[in-house]
Amino acid sequence: MSNRISLHRRTLLGGTAALALGAPSIARAQEKKVIVGTWGGDYSRLLTKNVASQMKGWEVIHSEEQADPRKAKMLAEQKLRRGTSDVQGLSANDMFDMNEQGLAEQIDYSKMPNAKNLIPSMKYKYGIGHIYSGKVVLYNPDMMAAPTGFADTLDPKHGNKLGIIDIQRQYNMVAAALASGGTVSDFEPGKERLIACRKAGARIYPSNEAFAQALKSGEIACGIMWKARAVQWQNAGIKVETVAPKEGVPMYVSGFVMPKNAPNKEGGYAWLDAMMSESAQENFAIDMGYNPTVTNAKVAPDLQKRIGFTDDEKKRLVDLDYGYMGKNDVAFQDWWNKSFKAS
Amino acid sequence: MPNPVVERRRGEAWTASALIGPATIFIAVCLLAPLAFLFRYSLNDFIAAKKMMVEAVTVANYIKFFTDPYYTAILWTTVRIAVLVTAVCLVLAFPLAYVVARTQSRFKNLLIISIVLPLFVGNSVRAAGWMVVFGSKGFVNSSLIGIGAISTPLEIMFTERAVIIGIIAVNLPFMVLSLQSVIEGIDRAVEEAAFSLGASPITMFRRVLWPLALPGIIAGTILCFILAMNAYATPFLLGGPLFKMMSPLIYNEFTQKTNWPFGGAIAFILMTVTLGLTVAANLILTRRYAR
Repeated sequence: MSNRISLHRRTLLGGTAALALGAPSIARAQEKKVIVGTWGGDYSRLLTKNVASQMKGWEVIHSEEQADPRKAKMLAEQKLRRGTSDVQGLSANDMFDMNEQGLAEQIDYSKMPNAKNLIPSMKYKYGIGHIYSGKVVLYNPDMMAAPTGFADTLDPKHGNKLGIIDIQRQYNMVAAALASGGTVSDFEPGKERLIACRKAGARIYPSNEAFAQALKSGEIACGIMWKARAVQWQNAGIKVETVAPKEGVPMYVSGFVMPKNAPNKEGGYAWLDAMMSESAQENFAIDMGYNPTVTNAKVAPDLQKRIGFTDDEKKRLVDLDYGYMGKNDVAFQDWWNKSFKAS
Repeated sequence: MPNPVVERRRGEAWTASALIGPATIFIAVCLLAPLAFLFRYSLNDFIAAKKMMVEAVTVANYIKFFTDPYYTAILWTTVRIAVLVTAVCLVLAFPLAYVVARTQSRFKNLLIISIVLPLFVGNSVRAAGWMVVFGSKGFVNSSLIGIGAISTPLEIMFTERAVIIGIIAVNLPFMVLSLQSVIEGIDRAVEEAAFSLGASPITMFRRVLWPLALPGIIAGTILCFILAMNAYATPFLLGGPLFKMMSPLIYNEFTQKTNWPFGGAIAFILMTVTLGLTVAANLILTRRYAR
């Protein structure tokens, strides 16, 4: 091979290598795209059906994952100028956590016309409540009598007919605390009760769906769950009834935050506004059984009876102490993994 | 006057660096740099009350791991299961690899594809299939109850047994392929020579086939062991909330507790133990069989 051809080949190869190293960055045009981080399954499907369908002219993309990995991603992206999501669906205590870690944009409610209908307690500085329900006691009426509350349910007497869901760790601790003389700001009294239940054979399930399967097959007879899920399971034909616990009904609020480095904040606000619209809220109540967070959503009386709470029960609605839970979450997780599950 | 030979060598060096450049930079950026970051994080401190990582240089995370029996038990479980899975895979894979390697059938390629077929399906989908098989009303229990072998369903799902079976199902094809490629390279005539000299099949295996196949055996066991030590989806889905192995533990530390320092420390401990055991086993085996 002559020197000239070798030189030619070297240059070509060197040039190719240089090209591979330094690909020019593609200029991104402003896109009408909104990226929504959400749980998958029914929740995502209903968001597409009820909220995304109202966003004419926008491309709505769902990034579906459990809450923990999405929170981890938000934290990892913190230093980036542009993150990878515009809106993130989280439970209220996770929303609180994100704000504590400086990740949540402070919401400008003036940008959303539908915000005027929002229930005041759902108007967080750092996020918006989307749906709410309450933690109730769940039981199979064919297998046991109706329990009166958390103390009656989280009781070692049920042996291995009591089911506890692993991912509902925090709510199980709240329920056990309320049943044992504790409060939403003091979970310690409930720990002994939970360990006693575990020693008596209470079964632990990895997810809500696995719990539902066990209820359906009769493997377990009772547990605790938000009322909305119980309504969905009743709709699916699972034999189950609910009782609003006498000790108090811990509220579950699910909402949305906007990351500080959301790439398309205009789209994020448009989506949040659509989320608060009357039709989106009403359809969510029908489809998923959660209570709407806007005052102008009309819920049919028979549905209201199933998903809602009576005036008496509303008096027992208890909001959680997110500060207490956030501060102690790591310690509680350690206790749950090392002491409770290992019993 | 420029020396054409030296010039050409210098040119070849440039060509070589241009060729390996992209891959090296890719590995450096996507693997080594994140590992370096992770190691740096593992030396940081963590404020549990605020779930925040703070800059520090401390080995507290490593000490925490080794002084807490909860975590060392998880490491021991992981090593134990990895060794068990590797041993079972070797025992199951060798006969299968031998048959596939020696077959003259025109369906040989089809056989190889059918062994690899389970890998076409993702780990999560495969685990979902095992859930159907192992459930209390699943295939195994229904069949056993149907033929009257048992009266109450066996608890297979969410147990260590389910995880072991699941990991073996994932790792077996890797072991089979490693062994098969090496056995194919061993001349059949060598085996026939052994038989003609009066060796029984077991003696032939022990004194001829095994030593000659050792490179493939070592490669297969190393691969299988590393995969089992780092298994995530199978232990997570089939083991349930009460069963813990190292990879799900690392995932939990990062996502549920946002404790990056401790998660990083556990990740490096896992990597070191895996590498250490692999190198040790490799040295022992090669030294023992070196002639």
